[in-house]
Amino acid sequence: MGEEVKVRVENLTKCFGDLRVLDKVSFQIKKGEFVCIVGPTGCGKTTFLRLLTKLTEPTSGEIYIDGEPADPQKHNISFVFQEPSAFPWLTAEENIEYGLKVKKRPAREIKAQSDKIIGLLGLEKFRKAYPHEMSVSMEQRVVIGRAFAMNPDLLLMDEPYGQMDIKMRYFLEDEVIKLWKATGSTVLFITHNLEEAVYLAEKILILSNKPARVKDEVVVELPRPRDIADEKFVEIRKKITEEIKWW
Amino acid sequence: MERRKLKDICLTCISLIALVVLWVIVSNSKPDFFPTPQATWERFLKMAETPISKTTIIGHILISLKRVLTALVLAVASGIGIGLIMGWSKKMNAVLGPILTALRPIPPIAWIPLVILWFGVGEFSKVLLVFIGAFFPVVLNTATGVSMVDPMYLNVGRVYNANTFQMLCHVVMPAALPAIMAGVKIALSSGWMVVVAAEMIASKSGLGFLITRGNESYDVALVLCGMILIGLVGAILSAVFTLMERWLCPWMEKKNG
Repeated sequence: MGEEVKVRVENLTKCFGDLRVLDKVSFQIKKGEFVCIVGPTGCGKTTFLRLLTKLTEPTSGEIYIDGEPADPQKHNISFVFQEPSAFPWLTAEENIEYGLKVKKRPAREIKAQSDKIIGLLGLEKFRKAYPHEMSVSMEQRVVIGRAFAMNPDLLLMDEPYGQMDIKMRYFLEDEVIKLWKATGSTVLFITHNLEEAVYLAEKILILSNKPARVKDEVVVELPRPRDIADEKFVEIRKKITEEIKWW
Repeated sequence: MERRKLKDICLTCISLIALVVLWVIVSNSKPDFFPTPQATWERFLKMAETPISKTTIIGHILISLKRVLTALVLAVASGIGIGLIMGWSKKMNAVLGPILTALRPIPPIAWIPLVILWFGVGEFSKVLLVFIGAFFPVVLNTATGVSMVDPMYLNVGRVYNANTFQMLCHVVMPAALPAIMAGVKIALSSGWMVVVAAEMIASKSGLGFLITRGNESYDVALVLCGMILIGLVGAILSAVFTLMERWLCPWMEKKNG
């Protein structure tokens, strides 16, 4: 393949009693790749993410990061939840610095990194603002900044824009691309919005109905910024829609 | 906005004036049982000049305050610590919860005979009684606040791989702080009530003692002075606490307002 593999998932299976939610899911993510996962509602996307964060243990299978079994102690895994999860008692700046402080990074590095992220997000004026003084979308931007600030080995995002309106989504999608490019992070982004997936991803993993397997991998090689009305864009979107509809 | 504020201030003034007028009317009918505002004010001035039981009026206030604040500091420190453990660990909650639930409904004043029997009438007994009154609201509010921390915040801490100490200090404590502060506020008012009761029963100093002294010497104006001072100092304590709360929890300002 030539390019370095960052994350390798092998035969990941999760059962809750008799219910098999994930069935031998296998795929690879290259270093610095932006991967979207789409699939029918209730197909086990959230369970899948929880396995990757190691909040839940898999029934069988392994997750490797840089060739070693994933270990939260050693690897940097960040997570953006569906609901805005900024700590209300911290300012925008302190929220962004939170993960770095937990890791006890040197103060100078923390400052440099938070300045960089705040600059990329254009939040200079809101450094000292508390979440209650922000709109929901701005709070979510702070949370995303907090996740990128970690320079994570793997950044997992669980439908982070699910609650935003269309206009805000376009803006935030461009912003997340900007952060991703600036930090070189490896991103795994879950969404049920196929247009969003085609707009963001370099590669799209399509999950099947429960028990979920990786049904197909679609590589999106459109230039950025992408145009949602572009012929090729629409073609890819239709193809993925068909694959999900097939069920 | 400004006009509304002015209106509110006017209404407050009217209600205060109405209270004093009512006081004048009632007290004039039976001045022996209920001193007039003027007589009370004169008694207050006299009290400010001549010490009672060798202590000035400021001295009495400070003694009561010292008892309350000493007990409050101890109650807050131990209450938050124990509450945190109870809220965090289901096992510890099972061990301590029933004991606290059984002890909580006993009014602190009901402990007075036992406390005097065991520890005498010294300073320690008074501080202990105030401690009993202040401890329960702090420990119970802390435990409830900790057990009700939004699981999402705990998940964020876990995802960033925070250790238990970091979780407690940087996630659980701040998340529970509003509930803890509410508990401390209740503890403060409860402690202030208990100190007066304790001083009325066995003391030679403090604001509660002023009331007992007035009662024993048929000095009704002194009783009233004591009561008014207790109310005033209590109100000031509560106002100072609110300022402190704003300083400690700046992120709650808008929610409160």
